[in-house]
Amino acid sequence: MTFEIDYLALAPELVVAGTIIAALLLDLFLTRSKKYWVAVLSVVGVAGGLVPIVYMLAEGGTRSMFDGSYVVDEFALILKIVFLVSGYLVLLMSVSYIEADRYYQGEYYFLLLSSILGSLVMSSSRDLIVLFIGLELTTGPLFLLAGWRKGDAKSNEASLKFFILGVLSTAILLYGMSLLFGLTGSVEFTAIAAAIPDLVSEPALALSVLFLIVGFAFKASAVPFHFWAPDTYEGAPTPVAAYLSVNSKAAGFVAMLIVMYTALPGISEVWAPALWVLAALSMTVGNLSALRQGNIVRLLAYSSIAQAGFMLVPFAAAAVAGSDLAQAFSATVVYLVIYALMNLGAFAVVIAGARRTGSGDIDDWAGLGQKDPVLGLLTALFFLSLAGIPPLAGWYAKFVMFASVIEAGGISTLVLAAIAAVNSVIAFYYYARVIKAVWLDTPSEELLARPGREYAGSIKLTLAISMGLTIAIGIYPTFATYFGEASRVIATGGG
Amino acid sequence: MDWIDFLIVVLRVVVVFALLLLVTIINVWAERKVVADFQNRIGPERAGPFGMLQTVADGLKLFFKESIIPARSEVGMFLLAPFLAVIPAFLIFLNIPFGRPITIGDRVIPLQGMDVDVGLLIVLAMSSMAVYAVVIAGWSSGSKYPLLGGVRATAQAISYEAAMGLAMVAVVLFSATQAADAPGGTLSLAELVERQSGTWAGIIPRWNLIPQIVAFVIFFIAAIAETNRAPFDLVEAEQELVGGYFTEYSGMRFAMFFLAEYINIFSMSALTATLFLGGWNGPTWDGVLPVWLSALLPFVWFMIKTYVLVFIFFWIRATLPRLRYDQLMALGWKRLIPGALGWLMLTAVVLGYRRFGLPWS
Amino acid sequence: MAEVIIFGLMALPALAGGVTVVLARNPVYGAMGLLGSMLALGVLYVAQLAHFIAAIHVVVYAGAVMTLFLFVIMLIGVDRADDQNERLPRQRQLVILGVLGIVATAFAVAFSGRFSWVIAATGERIPQATNGTTVALARVLFSDWVLAFEATALLLTIGSAGAIALASRRGKPVDLPIDPEVTS
Repeated sequence: MTFEIDYLALAPELVVAGTIIAALLLDLFLTRSKKYWVAVLSVVGVAGGLVPIVYMLAEGGTRSMFDGSYVVDEFALILKIVFLVSGYLVLLMSVSYIEADRYYQGEYYFLLLSSILGSLVMSSSRDLIVLFIGLELTTGPLFLLAGWRKGDAKSNEASLKFFILGVLSTAILLYGMSLLFGLTGSVEFTAIAAAIPDLVSEPALALSVLFLIVGFAFKASAVPFHFWAPDTYEGAPTPVAAYLSVNSKAAGFVAMLIVMYTALPGISEVWAPALWVLAALSMTVGNLSALRQGNIVRLLAYSSIAQAGFMLVPFAAAAVAGSDLAQAFSATVVYLVIYALMNLGAFAVVIAGARRTGSGDIDDWAGLGQKDPVLGLLTALFFLSLAGIPPLAGWYAKFVMFASVIEAGGISTLVLAAIAAVNSVIAFYYYARVIKAVWLDTPSEELLARPGREYAGSIKLTLAISMGLTIAIGIYPTFATYFGEASRVIATGGG
Repeated sequence: MDWIDFLIVVLRVVVVFALLLLVTIINVWAERKVVADFQNRIGPERAGPFGMLQTVADGLKLFFKESIIPARSEVGMFLLAPFLAVIPAFLIFLNIPFGRPITIGDRVIPLQGMDVDVGLLIVLAMSSMAVYAVVIAGWSSGSKYPLLGGVRATAQAISYEAAMGLAMVAVVLFSATQAADAPGGTLSLAELVERQSGTWAGIIPRWNLIPQIVAFVIFFIAAIAETNRAPFDLVEAEQELVGGYFTEYSGMRFAMFFLAEYINIFSMSALTATLFLGGWNGPTWDGVLPVWLSALLPFVWFMIKTYVLVFIFFWIRATLPRLRYDQLMALGWKRLIPGALGWLMLTAVVLGYRRFGLPWS
Repeated sequence: MAEVIIFGLMALPALAGGVTVVLARNPVYGAMGLLGSMLALGVLYVAQLAHFIAAIHVVVYAGAVMTLFLFVIMLIGVDRADDQNERLPRQRQLVILGVLGIVATAFAVAFSGRFSWVIAATGERIPQATNGTTVALARVLFSDWVLAFEATALLLTIGSAGAIALASRRGKPVDLPIDPEVTS
């Protein structure tokens, strides 16, 4: 039996895995006041994971292992960069937040790093088993992290809701996978894709595909499988909510896209309408619910549900219209990259703002711009970017999305585009509400009386990175286009 | 497979069944005698020579006694529990080879209830099933002492099963390197015994006991705990819990728990002998002695080894005081499991070094 | 043929166990039903020549997981009055309606002609008796699936580390609100 491991292809995972073990061990020997060294180690380790990825991108080519069940192509590398960078930002956000809390620190970083590792594994997987384990490794630690503030009833509620619904979705997902395996006799995507044409008339196949979609949609919190999201985001520690809204959502998303694109293109008449409905519902329900939120984290939760809908649009449109899926892939990845940056920035603003105002209510944020102009400016920046206002990165994401829909053509796609357009307007309204509260409303006596405090360096760094990239991509979108173009090179595995 | 093969299979199972019943009768008497000697008493002496028929008499008495079903019990589960105790006890011994395979004509008959390639795992599975009897008996009795006994038993079984399994892994790992012709590990108990045949340097038997002494100690302690024997008999600590989980049982149902306990002692000793003391291996002087005697001798070796261990069971029971509950848990989780893990790692490193050399060479 | 008989003999208790889990008012009976179901499944694995899976299935699920279940049920205590509460109005009628609907759908699918009995694995099958042995399984597990295997190991570590971090109460329980307070 020939069996070889390409250690360079696995290097990002190995670096993160080494960091995980080191963090767990280091935590054992540190006294309580020195625990931040675990955070330092984690941040360095995640950044170190980027080095081999950049090297491999420069070298180019596709690496495949384990009979084609693990493929490192440009698509996977791009996604790994997204996961590592957003994981890096979340780790930075966490440092001061977790240190101020009175709960365990070492384990927090251990769990967060494990989740990042899971998403790395997931983005390279080209078979059901590795995909499933990668996905579970991504979401599993989050069940625990959501309940990290165990003295807080809301955090417990967040964890419990997330856990129960997450386990349910996992069961559905597994059921779909086992049906698919039973029908096609293989877990590898290429083999499944090859077996599909003979089975198209099989109702059980349609059932398994729908189960898969339900499972992934739960992870991506797309409507109507989004019920856990707002409560979980609100109760979980804010950095964890940020992570949930970016990494774990992206993981569910990417898993869905990989499976649909590489394993199930032969049966797109089943999943394309389902994705269309998911996209339309997510946008509409997410945005309409966000209108009525008073808490800023809940608002961001619904906004991220809506953004998931936007992200689905290109892929759903292309699949329904039967046009080139690769084009849709690049549009989705561009949207994902930009969304990750601006959403993480928005959550960092929430952490800083909550520290400044002592509240998560939008009403209490009134006049924050007068109290702290820099933070006010950043709030405006990220929320405007989320709304898709031109000089910032968000507009380009929306532009790419609409462009790909129009390219796809067809009546149903145009309807979807219309829904997306209406929703963009709705979204602008509630994003603008936050900006209005921060800049135009008069600050309360209480807020003015609060002592001004210095922010931790790590949160400043988070804000600086996400701000810089958001502006840079908005002005010079070719940078993001590179990501989109590179991600077209998705190897379907095999060989 | 013709009907003779089928008959042989049935016969093997029947033989195991009969053997177990017989040794139980002897063991109950032997324990009473041994413990009596330790305590300077005489023990049973009236029924039969040296009181050997005492157990039979007790059994008959229990058989004719009324089996009471308490009013507050969950009847279904209450009736089920004794069977849950006895069945796994029998199934464990079914896996253990108790003699060298004998050849009659062209048929090779293994002296073993069943030879499965995952025999060791089945033993582990069955020993973990045994705990249900205790739990169900304790719960269904509808009374507080049995319930407490049941809860204790569950915690104890889970704790010590882990240590036991880990000790087994070290043995399996070691024996994987012991077969010259067929490299690779095995979980078949017959194969494990085969691999302990022969000697080192002509005199030291190739038992796993010597290289795996730490695993042996851990395994045997865990085996005592798994069978709920003193000093781990908190499950039935009479000072605290009256009779423990079978307080409410009487008559034949009580006798079944009793039977299961003694079968388990014997099975665990036999398993320890199989894993560490070379099972039925021993000099048989083939060709010197008559054929039937050479075929019988492995069985004799097996019984001698097993009974040495059974005697240690009795010895420990007569000597050591019962552990406190927290001591029990501390011993299991803080000593045995880390010890077994450490030993497993050491074994793996040493075997890896001997097979592959240093990692950088 | 023998396989079909074993399947019939074991599928029935497996299903009966499952039904018991749903219907039993007393959680202990439910747990025992689940246990029976698992043992029956173990036998089915043996019929498929997957001895290792069968043994591990019994050790892990029947031996460890269900014991913990029972342990928890007993420690918490079996309060049957609690189970009688049906929160949803008309819960039972709705359930019966749902079951009827599923059965009707199944019949509709079965008789509409679009249904064919699921063909077992169109991919090539290797009907070797050694496929399910420990050695064969280990060989695949530690070569082709080594990554998934290691990731699973990490998953289990996460489970235990996280459970300890969430459950243990070192020092006094934390109840005061924490500074970066976003939950209002």
